Amino acid sequence: MTSKIEQKLRSVARELLEQGKVGTIVGYEAGSLKFTNTPLITKDKEAADRLVINPFIINNLSVFLKDIGGKVGVVAKGCDIRSIVSLIQDKQLARENVVIIGVPCAGIIDLDKIEKLMGKDRDELDDIVRENDKVIVTVQRSKKEYPAKDVLIDSCLACDQPKIKEYDILLDEEATVVCDDEASRSLIKKLEAMPPAQRWEFWKSQFERCIRCYACRQVCPACYCKRCFVEETEPAWISPLPKWQDNLIFQVTRMMHVAGRCTDCGACERACPVGIPLHSLSKKMAEIVQELFEYQAGTDKDALPLMAAYESKEAEDLIR
Amino acid sequence: MKKIKKQDIAKLLSQWQKDFTVFVPSKESGTAEMAVWDGKDAGFLDWYRNTVVPPKANFLQNMEKLFGFRKEGGSFKLETPPPETRKQLIFGIRPCDARAIAIIDMVFKDAYEDKYYLSRRQNSLLIGMGCVKPYDSCFCTSLGLGPAEAADVDIMLTDTGDEYLIEEITAKGKELLAKTSGAETASQTDENKAVAVKQAAYNKVTRKIDTKQIKQRLPDAFENKEFWEGVSAKCVSCGICTFLCPTCYCFDINDEMLKGDGARYRNWDSCSFPVYTKMPAENPREEKWKRVRQKVNHKYDFYPRLFNVIACTGCGRCIRQCPVNWDITQTLSGLPAGAPVTEKK
Repeated sequence: MTSKIEQKLRSVARELLEQGKVGTIVGYEAGSLKFTNTPLITKDKEAADRLVINPFIINNLSVFLKDIGGKVGVVAKGCDIRSIVSLIQDKQLARENVVIIGVPCAGIIDLDKIEKLMGKDRDELDDIVRENDKVIVTVQRSKKEYPAKDVLIDSCLACDQPKIKEYDILLDEEATVVCDDEASRSLIKKLEAMPPAQRWEFWKSQFERCIRCYACRQVCPACYCKRCFVEETEPAWISPLPKWQDNLIFQVTRMMHVAGRCTDCGACERACPVGIPLHSLSKKMAEIVQELFEYQAGTDKDALPLMAAYESKEAEDLIR
Repeated sequence: MKKIKKQDIAKLLSQWQKDFTVFVPSKESGTAEMAVWDGKDAGFLDWYRNTVVPPKANFLQNMEKLFGFRKEGGSFKLETPPPETRKQLIFGIRPCDARAIAIIDMVFKDAYEDKYYLSRRQNSLLIGMGCVKPYDSCFCTSLGLGPAEAADVDIMLTDTGDEYLIEEITAKGKELLAKTSGAETASQTDENKAVAVKQAAYNKVTRKIDTKQIKQRLPDAFENKEFWEGVSAKCVSCGICTFLCPTCYCFDINDEMLKGDGARYRNWDSCSFPVYTKMPAENPREEKWKRVRQKVNHKYDFYPRLFNVIACTGCGRCIRQCPVNWDITQTLSGLPAGAPVTEKK
């Protein structure tokens, strides 16, 4: 069934293409698996009728913008818009070349959390419905109800962009976000409480299973380097072999490199096929950036990028 | 044929553990993969459908040392490791993954015999387990096998409810079973039950592709830039689909040396990465659509031409694990019909 917001999106997208206001639309269409969507990148106005909006639009579509020429209309949630703003700040994208179709987002449902709670895989579930602060899962006509904060993506629980600021078209009024910063940082809290040696062991065990598929980097809008440092051979900053030490150095360097540009959208963690908890790094980093520089990535398109600006009042003990 | 109660699987594994390093499906590391059995129980039977990391990793490791070297005077002294003699038993391998290993065997024992891979193969036993709950992403039945295919394992188990029916497939499997205690003789009723389970599983695989049509259309579409650009637009060029593919066998070679001591390693590589084909003068697959085309063609055209078999077993990992739900079955089904497209100069 097509929702009201989808109807509006489809007509907006069609109109943008028909009137030549954009050459390409980037949005979501139904995927080939249950509760799964897939990016729709199209110049065809007929394809606009395939656009969807639902609580499973996990991708941060801003990652595609830099590779598409001309004017692009993009379907974006609050966090995705912050990525777009950050790209504009970094001059990777011109504001006039992007038509932001803002989607008020009430949080994305984390299928991994639902699978764990239900003890079943996603393809064994019949339905998942969000109703305000509840999520109802149906399996073989029996319904189970969960508080939304138990099944939303960790990054969403820390969302502070329910009110979309930067947009060209807004599809709906503000959405009700179920925020729970404590829940969002539950792993960070555990890690902070660990003595350094134990924390080191934790990350060692996480990065031992990294296969260096670079999905975290590839889905990251802030990772737009034409040549990533891991591919440099002279000097080779890290080994291409997936040893845990090199895997860890790769991720830590990547995280440092996107500091001030990373919006903690959580795309890296969602993409990771071996479940490394990357949100606990990206969120912690965003917290440090906020603490040291009073800066929040992607919230002001006219602001200088964090690493391009210096103020004498800035903390000098940032390396610690 | 024999059978064993599910609760007795651990007893079976304990016996085998004496002669083999026993690998079982495990989530202990944080992701589902074949890992050394902890000797405790067979709790994995409760959740196991398939692993995220395919069992090809037990043969083509994601990183392995080929040999060491040491600088001595003006030359290097090589230190070749002794041949792999550890015997491994992989318990619960799915038919698609067992077939995949049989498929990549062809590469590793072709004109060049890869002793690292082959010694592991020779020292391994595969205990297959038929699927009763295929994923919605599975499409094995379109590729000449099915969720109960036993041709590529030494022993095959079929889940009949409270028990497993045990079929000895190879001489190696027969030998192992002969010295294993705890299995009872299966009755005709048990065998009939297994037949029904296999048929039911087969019917549960609903995702289909038409390999005949693909064979016809794929070569004709090779120069169809528009088609490949279209299907590749949403690909993010990560290595998930290739690394986790049970038939992708590409590897890179890297030397590491510190103070005159070094080693040569090989590690998984992926044609999805632009650097995969980067050479000093040019990169023939700099553009994404060419890399996606390569991946699909390698599996469905080039490999069949070389070895007469499609290098895909329909395990569905590339669909399940893809961060953007790029679905190879959709690409293959969408191949344009009609005359070959020639490249415009």
